[in-house]
Amino acid sequence: MPGVVDTLLYVAIILAKILIVFGAVMLHVAYAPYFERKTIGHMQVRLGPMNVGPHGLLQPLADFIKLFFKEDIIPSQADKPVFFVAPVISLVGALSSLAVIPFFDGPNGVVANINVGLLFVLAMSSLGSYGIIMAGWASNSKYSFLGGLRSAAQVISYEISMGLSLVGVMMLAGSLNLTDIVRAQEHYPFGMFLLPQVIACFVYTLSVIAETNRAPFDLPEAESELVAGYFVEYSGMRFGLFFVAEYTGMIIMASIGIVCFLGGWHGPFTIPYVPFAWFFLKLYVLIFVYYWVRATLPRYRYDHLMNLGWKVLIPLALFNIVLTGILKVTKVLP
Amino acid sequence: MTLKKFLKTVTFIEIIKGMVLTFKTMFTHAVTRQYPKEKRPSVPGFRGLHGLARDAQTGEARCVGCGLCAAVCPSKCIHIYTADSLDHKKIVERYEIEVLRCVYCALCVEACPYSAVVLTEQFEYSNYSRDAFYMTKDKLLANWDKYMGEEKDREYFRRFWHPTADDFGTPENQAVFKGGKSAG
Repeated sequence: MPGVVDTLLYVAIILAKILIVFGAVMLHVAYAPYFERKTIGHMQVRLGPMNVGPHGLLQPLADFIKLFFKEDIIPSQADKPVFFVAPVISLVGALSSLAVIPFFDGPNGVVANINVGLLFVLAMSSLGSYGIIMAGWASNSKYSFLGGLRSAAQVISYEISMGLSLVGVMMLAGSLNLTDIVRAQEHYPFGMFLLPQVIACFVYTLSVIAETNRAPFDLPEAESELVAGYFVEYSGMRFGLFFVAEYTGMIIMASIGIVCFLGGWHGPFTIPYVPFAWFFLKLYVLIFVYYWVRATLPRYRYDHLMNLGWKVLIPLALFNIVLTGILKVTKVLP
Repeated sequence: MTLKKFLKTVTFIEIIKGMVLTFKTMFTHAVTRQYPKEKRPSVPGFRGLHGLARDAQTGEARCVGCGLCAAVCPSKCIHIYTADSLDHKKIVERYEIEVLRCVYCALCVEACPYSAVVLTEQFEYSNYSRDAFYMTKDKLLANWDKYMGEEKDREYFRRFWHPTADDFGTPENQAVFKGGKSAG
């Protein structure tokens, strides 16, 4: 009998953790576009949203209501089952990665403390691009199809450099468990892998922007050429799912960057009672950098994008692996 | 030189310069005007909604129905209907402007010998129906009362239009019949 109670308690705790993480991330996802519009607005000497609530603070709510009640249009020539399932795949790929991200130290800081955490995140982020390709195919429109194809090519190219850049981190930490990776950084300068893995960090940052289809690598949704890319034919809540998936993906990728290069929950000093404060502070800074880059740079040309991925980032990441190996063997790095 | 170029490419110095610029710009004051809340005062002499000047003495329209404005109008949006009154004076029965067809060239304003038709500075007159943009004589007179008025009319016309009405008298240097009483 105590065994049953223990199991139920265990399940209840897991469910509570899932709900808290899901709720917190959804709140962040809701306000991420608001933060983006405000940031980019001010960088372009505009104001951004101002009318819904004080300084437009209720804009996410208004957007949600609008998306929820909008007419759901399905193209008559669409491949319906694939059309329905594509945004769900995108969203599931993004959301399931949340389970392995350690927000603070200890067993309660992460929903599922699995040993292949980093691999799981990489797998899920590739799964997300299936949603994009399927959406492009199922919509039966040339714009979404081109967007889907571009996304496929881009995500596959940049996934390689992203995976390779994380190999150096795995070598230094000796683990794929994200909590262990953060703990391994304690003995390094600033409690970060940033300095010993500076090349990897550089490659990772660029790859992540391409991986999440953000400007200046937002070719899958290039407005000037493809209207909106792979989700042209989606409307209402289905479009909303893609939107949520994109912003969740950004948060995931920024979180992995924090965990692998920026020392996770560690900070220059500990903030009492709020163990995840440093993690979220770093998260906001990284998300801001996404917007900052978007506000500054124009979109890359397609061949330049491929050049950068295959001829610059992948060789750099490979070089970083060799360098880390040499430093590790010669005991320069512990 | 090639090393310099290489370093320039590798360190992304130009991109960083651009990012510094956008970051600095973020803290400058936005140039946005929150339109319905803060309105921009219209530029003096702006060619906005039409009006028909009211004569201060009679309280009627200054227009005499000569039809010069309708004749000069390039989009032919002014319609004037005149009639004989009982004491055989010419009266303007209807004076109508199709505002939606007007191109705001203000040739009518320049042509009018009595400074009767004006373009006021009013620019906010959007509406949901087309009928609201068909200006009858009463509406045009009301527009003048509301947006122009006697004082503004005088200032506005002298400053921007140099109306024909000013030159309507006999010029001082005009040649006159010999032996007659000289003008001026």
